[in-house]
Amino acid sequence: MTGTAEPIVMDLQRKPNIHPATQAKGEALIAALADLRTGTGLATEYLKELPVPHRRVERWKHTPVSGFWTTYEAPRVQTIQAAGCEACPVPGLHAYRIVFVNGMFDAEASDLPVHSGVRCEPVSMTASAPAEAGNLEKSDWFAALNQAHATEGMKLHVDKGVVLDRPLLVHHHTHGQKSANFLRHEIQVESNAQVQLIHWSTSNEEASGMVNIMMQMDVASGAIVALDKVQDEAGQVHHLAFEQINQAQASQVRVHTGTIQGKWVRNDLNFRLDGEGCDAVLNGFFLPKDSEFVDNHTTVDHCAAHCTSSEQYQGILYGSSSGVFNGKVFVRPHAQQTNAYQQNGNILVTDKATINAKPELEIYADDVKCSHGCTIGQFDEEALFYARSRGIGESEAKAMLVHAFIGDVLDGFAVQEVRMEVEHRLATKHGWDTWNDTLESA
Amino acid sequence: MVNIKELKASIGETQILKGLNLEIKPGEVHAIMGPNGSGKSTLASVLAGREDYDVTGGSVDFDSRDLLEMDATERARSGLFLAFQYPVEIPGVSNINFMRAAVNGKREHEGLDPIKGKDFLNLVKEKASLVELDGRLRNRSVNEGFSGGEKKRNEIFQMAMLEPRFAVLDETDSGLDIDALRIVANGVNAMRSPDRSFLVITHYQRLLDYIVPDFVHVLVDGKIVLSGDKDLALKLEEKGYDWIKEDVIA
Repeated sequence: MTGTAEPIVMDLQRKPNIHPATQAKGEALIAALADLRTGTGLATEYLKELPVPHRRVERWKHTPVSGFWTTYEAPRVQTIQAAGCEACPVPGLHAYRIVFVNGMFDAEASDLPVHSGVRCEPVSMTASAPAEAGNLEKSDWFAALNQAHATEGMKLHVDKGVVLDRPLLVHHHTHGQKSANFLRHEIQVESNAQVQLIHWSTSNEEASGMVNIMMQMDVASGAIVALDKVQDEAGQVHHLAFEQINQAQASQVRVHTGTIQGKWVRNDLNFRLDGEGCDAVLNGFFLPKDSEFVDNHTTVDHCAAHCTSSEQYQGILYGSSSGVFNGKVFVRPHAQQTNAYQQNGNILVTDKATINAKPELEIYADDVKCSHGCTIGQFDEEALFYARSRGIGESEAKAMLVHAFIGDVLDGFAVQEVRMEVEHRLATKHGWDTWNDTLESA
Repeated sequence: MVNIKELKASIGETQILKGLNLEIKPGEVHAIMGPNGSGKSTLASVLAGREDYDVTGGSVDFDSRDLLEMDATERARSGLFLAFQYPVEIPGVSNINFMRAAVNGKREHEGLDPIKGKDFLNLVKEKASLVELDGRLRNRSVNEGFSGGEKKRNEIFQMAMLEPRFAVLDETDSGLDIDALRIVANGVNAMRSPDRSFLVITHYQRLLDYIVPDFVHVLVDGKIVLSGDKDLALKLEEKGYDWIKEDVIA
């Protein structure tokens, strides 16, 4: 290894894989959206050139997008109050709330201004020009679609050295049918600042349509950011989430993604470690049931030396649900002394559930430590019998094993109230007794 | 308390229990010995409700109820306990939570409220000391990282927590050194009472020096072929099983 070799695959511009019939569907969608709202006019050149995802586009191979080719309507409900929701989805959480309903900012339900040293405002009220297209918009049709249509979102700037005193909760709620909701969050955390973010997505039982949320986050040197992301959407909502996180020297970012409920969910989480000594943690769990679909695509791009990344995604798939995990880790030639860890565990509860899992590691530096593991299995029947032979009911025994399987991820949520609410909602969805292990510390 | 009549069980196509009869009265300790493959562990599994086995005939009466009609959970809640030959490790599930769920399952069956946290922890402390496991259960997952001896002591601890009416010990002595054997046996002996019965399955007479049985049975090819008192175990230790095959069955 010479150390100067350039990565071959990761930066390769592939020939666009255009499928004419799918392309026409994408164009029809754009035309339908044009009738609904004023676009931003951005990224339109990419939209024209990029392939609309279909089965032969590698990153969308196992991710069916046919649910997007439908009709959309302008939303009727614009406030959390009109939607009949609780003002805060997490009971007992003391946070700054920033609320969006059907892609629109709900000033009444939000707590602005946030804190001295923090500029937080809806994109629609800021004077500054929108950001230019990033890598995601240039390479992914749905990301470009976001930039072309998102006129709202949160613009957050945390000044140098500011430590936010409570978490900042960004809540998006979808209410009603056939809505097309685009949000674009731009976040800048200056050096040595610290902030805890929560992204919480909900929808009502009758909801349908699409939610497409982009988050661009720049984390300056020495800053510490935690993002707890929870998806709990009822109805038939199709949810796309893109995150691009750029880390400068010695910054720390941890992202926990919990998908409790969602007819169709795709998370596209991307880290770029640009300065030395960065630490990135990305954990997630997904427990789809019935015919739900959950896809987690992650990329960790090690561009600098002495960085660590740690990734753990755990999936339990019930009914006829399906899931995708794709974990890319790039270690560029100069990123020596990288320590990258990836683990993906999956349990298929029924023989109708499916998972497509693919770890992808591309390592171009020679003094690194990279490990990955991927498992697909069933519930441990022997452990279940052992529990039952002690008088523990079958469903409780299963809940116990589930809890053990995703416990590390659950424990990693930065905000305790989030973790407790997530456990409560999981228990409700799957009909478990609410689990609590407070005794251990008693 | 337990009345097994003409019990037949198979796994897949293979018939293992071929008409087994055994009656155990309250307070009695019965030992079952027998050569490898005679059906000892199958008997334990069938009694505990392991679904891999098909019961193809016979009956098991437990406190005047049909044991075979109950699922594994219900059997345990009704007072049956199986100490596993190979206790299962469950990473990520703490001993404490596991046992609390078990104790509360039984209490629910008995129409009682869940046990209070403090009472439960006191109970754990009391019962763990019985098998010298004090302080070794907290903050550890079920059997994970336990030595062979600790696993078997944990089985007896669990039994003490659940206070069963009828306990089956499946080769609880296997893999134990002399000290651990003594600890396990002391735990069992401390639980002997006029209304609790035991079925001790073992290969070796050694365990029966510590847990002295009222009856010893010899299981050969899915049937009990010989019964006696504790002296039978000594005779088996001395002479092996071949003489039974020759003298008794022939």
